[in-house]
Amino acid sequence: MSTVATIAAPRARKRSTGTAITYVVALVIIAVTVVPLLFVIVGGFRTTAQINSDPAGLPSPWVWDNYRIILGSSQFWRFLGNSALIAVIATVLAVGFGSMAAFALSRYTFKGRDSIYTLFTLGLLFPLTVATLPLYLWLRQLGLLESPLGVAIPEAAFSLPVTIVILRPFMHAIPGEIEDAAVLDGATRVGFFWRILLPLSMPALTTVAVLAFVTSWNGYLLPLLVFNDSQHFTLPLGVATFQSQYSQDTARVLAFTALSMIPALGFFMLAERRIVGGLTGSVKG
Amino acid sequence: MRITRKTCAIAVAAAMALSVTACGGDDTPAASAPPSGPVTLTWWHNGTTDPLNTLWQQLADEYHAAHPDVSFKIEPIQNEQFPTKVPLALQSSTPPDIYQQWGGGQEAGQITSGKVADLSSVAPWAEQLGLAAPGWQVDGKQYGVPFIQHVVGFWYRKDLFTQAGITAAPTTMDELTTAITKLKGAGLAPIAVGGKDRWPDAFYWGYFATRECSTDVLKAASKTVKLDDPCWTRAGQDLKNFLALNPFQPGFVGTPAQQGAGSSAGMVANGQAAMELQGDWEPGTMSALTTDKDLKSKLGWFPFPAVAGGAGDPGVVLGGGDGFSCTTRAAAACGEFLKYLVSTPVQNRLAASGAGLPVNPASAPSLTDETLKKVFDQGHKATYIQSYFDVAWPTAVGQALNDAVANFFAGQGTPDSIVQAVNQAAAGNK
Amino acid sequence: MTTDLATPVDRPPGESKPTAPRPARRRSSTRTKLELALFLGPALVLFVGFVLVPIGIAVYYSLYDWNGFGPISDFVGIKNYKDALSGNVFQGAIGHNVIIALLSLVVQLPLSIGLALLLNRKLRGRGFLRVIVFAPYVLSEAITAVIWLLMLQPNGFADQFLRAVGLGGVIEQWLANPKVVLYTLFVVITWKYIGFGIILLLAGLQGIPAELREAAALDGASAWQTTWHIVVPLLGPTIRIWIFLSVIGSLQLFDLVWIMTLGGPANATTTMASYMIDHGFKRYEFGYGSAVAVVLFAVCFVFALLYQRFALRRDTAGALTRMAG
Repeated sequence: MSTVATIAAPRARKRSTGTAITYVVALVIIAVTVVPLLFVIVGGFRTTAQINSDPAGLPSPWVWDNYRIILGSSQFWRFLGNSALIAVIATVLAVGFGSMAAFALSRYTFKGRDSIYTLFTLGLLFPLTVATLPLYLWLRQLGLLESPLGVAIPEAAFSLPVTIVILRPFMHAIPGEIEDAAVLDGATRVGFFWRILLPLSMPALTTVAVLAFVTSWNGYLLPLLVFNDSQHFTLPLGVATFQSQYSQDTARVLAFTALSMIPALGFFMLAERRIVGGLTGSVKG
Repeated sequence: MRITRKTCAIAVAAAMALSVTACGGDDTPAASAPPSGPVTLTWWHNGTTDPLNTLWQQLADEYHAAHPDVSFKIEPIQNEQFPTKVPLALQSSTPPDIYQQWGGGQEAGQITSGKVADLSSVAPWAEQLGLAAPGWQVDGKQYGVPFIQHVVGFWYRKDLFTQAGITAAPTTMDELTTAITKLKGAGLAPIAVGGKDRWPDAFYWGYFATRECSTDVLKAASKTVKLDDPCWTRAGQDLKNFLALNPFQPGFVGTPAQQGAGSSAGMVANGQAAMELQGDWEPGTMSALTTDKDLKSKLGWFPFPAVAGGAGDPGVVLGGGDGFSCTTRAAAACGEFLKYLVSTPVQNRLAASGAGLPVNPASAPSLTDETLKKVFDQGHKATYIQSYFDVAWPTAVGQALNDAVANFFAGQGTPDSIVQAVNQAAAGNK
Repeated sequence: MTTDLATPVDRPPGESKPTAPRPARRRSSTRTKLELALFLGPALVLFVGFVLVPIGIAVYYSLYDWNGFGPISDFVGIKNYKDALSGNVFQGAIGHNVIIALLSLVVQLPLSIGLALLLNRKLRGRGFLRVIVFAPYVLSEAITAVIWLLMLQPNGFADQFLRAVGLGGVIEQWLANPKVVLYTLFVVITWKYIGFGIILLLAGLQGIPAELREAAALDGASAWQTTWHIVVPLLGPTIRIWIFLSVIGSLQLFDLVWIMTLGGPANATTTMASYMIDHGFKRYEFGYGSAVAVVLFAVCFVFALLYQRFALRRDTAGALTRMAG
């Protein structure tokens, strides 16, 4: 250890300036990213009239009503619950089916493999908005209107392409030796998938889970199509209750948004640790 | 490759099957006799906030108390969502029984679904609604009933006019030009306009058109959109001259109309601009955008000035309204309810709530704001109410007009190109 | 250790040791087919049913003139396509999409890589930083637009800030000047989507063993050299996915544009998707809108094919080359 320390000593100064620059850059990035976010959070403590007469100012006076009323309204919690239910179902479906498909597409070779992969990528290339009318009619025929499944299932379907596109190279990169070792130990391909590949793919799996969750969480168009009864609304639809024909209760909307972000960010925070976990230590020997 | 082709084939077959069943299969033609007995009316309106939210609920409850057979299932829908949700609903076999719409060409499009009921026989609408009725008729039949009406004119800040030394509201274009010059001299933006949203721009062209074109030409255009008369190009020329005065706030092409402090409404509300050409809803919009409690007392209104040499009747106003249509399932019950909504007691309450200008002239005295009464009078004594063109004309044509005028405001195009854009869109070209 | 390094991670599994016998591979092909059906089946059914079928129907609409209300009866064939491709507004829109895509490659990619590397280091408060940087991605498009609209007004927060740091001369009409507005939008897009790139690249960085970097450092490489010559190349597959998703995202750009500028002023910020909504669906011309969507799809498809053939080839072991050949 001491020899390493003496070799490292001349580098120490360079490293500390490097670290200092790193911290400065980090600060700048935080500043740029955070200011608009603060706008949202602090905006919830003002009234709309305040925001409109002085967009950049601080609350004067601090208004607690917006947050208080939203947190106290059963509507908000119902919207939150609806959003959460749908997002969880969509994420589980997308990641579950997507990882299975990515596994098949990355570690099996069969005729038509690339065509099927291309087929999945087609879903990325087509804007969702244009499919709304056919999708609506289709969901109506299936009796999925006014149901969370009517939103979660198409959302999962539309998240499949991104999921598969991201997962396939990650799964592909796991060395064949691991698979061979597992097989030699008597595991089936399915067993390999479940017990070894999935845990090894955790960073990628968490990434696609977060992406699918956030996409569903902010999804507006599908819930708009599927739900007319406000009891079923998700959070993005709920914003509409603060918007009249001619104007928007901006402060209330900002407070609502700030609160809506929390679960999605919370999910990311939980997941973020897993994204770090990963492969280190597993590739050795 | 085999797999792909098979998948493709399945997809196409499914698509064909679905399109046949989904679009036409389970739609019944216009309903026959309405069901007697209890009926629940599904009602889509855009009153997501007060005063309309509470008011509609109260009215529904009271009507139900008076007519126990009729119940309501109210679904407030945010305004911007109507263009998406209404076509979808009219595709399904269970559209809402009452839904909000804005008349004109949009309504005409909705009629083609075959699901909208003809209400002509329910009430003497023309009597009750007066000048508002034609805007909601298609081929002379009343397919929609307005509950409030709108009139567009110049809202202005009396205090800023005084500050700039303007003593009286302009009545002619020349006077307006003078006022603009004086306001600029006082360091104020004379007029605010929400160029980003495009439809406020179209108000200017629309008004110049009503000043240049005779009422007959206007009415003919609402039937068939074909702008042959040179008056339409003259309107564009008037607009060009007006724009040459630079009357608007800096960066007007990017300013939204109603959202936020930087909107045109917000600018007038906060005293940064002196005038705005907008509908009667403007004070309501503005009051949310400022902390100034005295705003209402500072606002005045004058009608769009006369244009010298124009063939148009200066008594014509540009306006519109909000209304409801009934779908065929419960048309009779729905029609009766709409009759109730335009009755004087209900219209009095609407007027008093500040929701807008009543369509029933008897309710005008219930308007609480003096300036709004003035606006109402202008509409009431008008010789003809021209619906704003993006509503009067079919949607595609109206949007093409808005786009062409907005581009014109941004310096692109000529008075001729606006007319051409409209004619092209009307002919079905994209 | 050295043998592992000799087997770069982007080579397909099983192909590195051609000589070793593979007893496990003597699995019946029926069994393999069943496994394939099990793994691929659910995703395929979900995807075909809820994505491809609606798309197929939309393509069907594109051959008609239809206002969304009555029956679909007015067959116009490829007229919608001809109208779309020959209009200069749509052509302009394509140009804007291409500009955004190129800018994202030139600006967002280095920024994302740099930030990901930064957030991968052992910094104090690293977890917190990651949440902050990711937060804009979580924010809905509608609110992003609302906030930035507030900040970008003339003499709004952005202008005040620029003046405060002495950059007052740079100030333009951010949203009203047709020459500047597209780039203003690009700044907002970058702010919003940087989190997406970072989360992806962070995941990719986890696949690079720390031992590699330590070995390089012991061999005398500086931090910069390690990064440039070892980390970034190993990050290759992830970067290539990022590029793919980013370009597709740029081509499909809609929400932010729609809310911030509606494609204006004077068509300065139209994108293919905003044109589709503006000239198609908002005008109740569903057939035309669907045709524009198909054109947008075709553009993306061409890019996707070319990209997979040339850029992603290594990552998927000759996937499409085999298909094409």
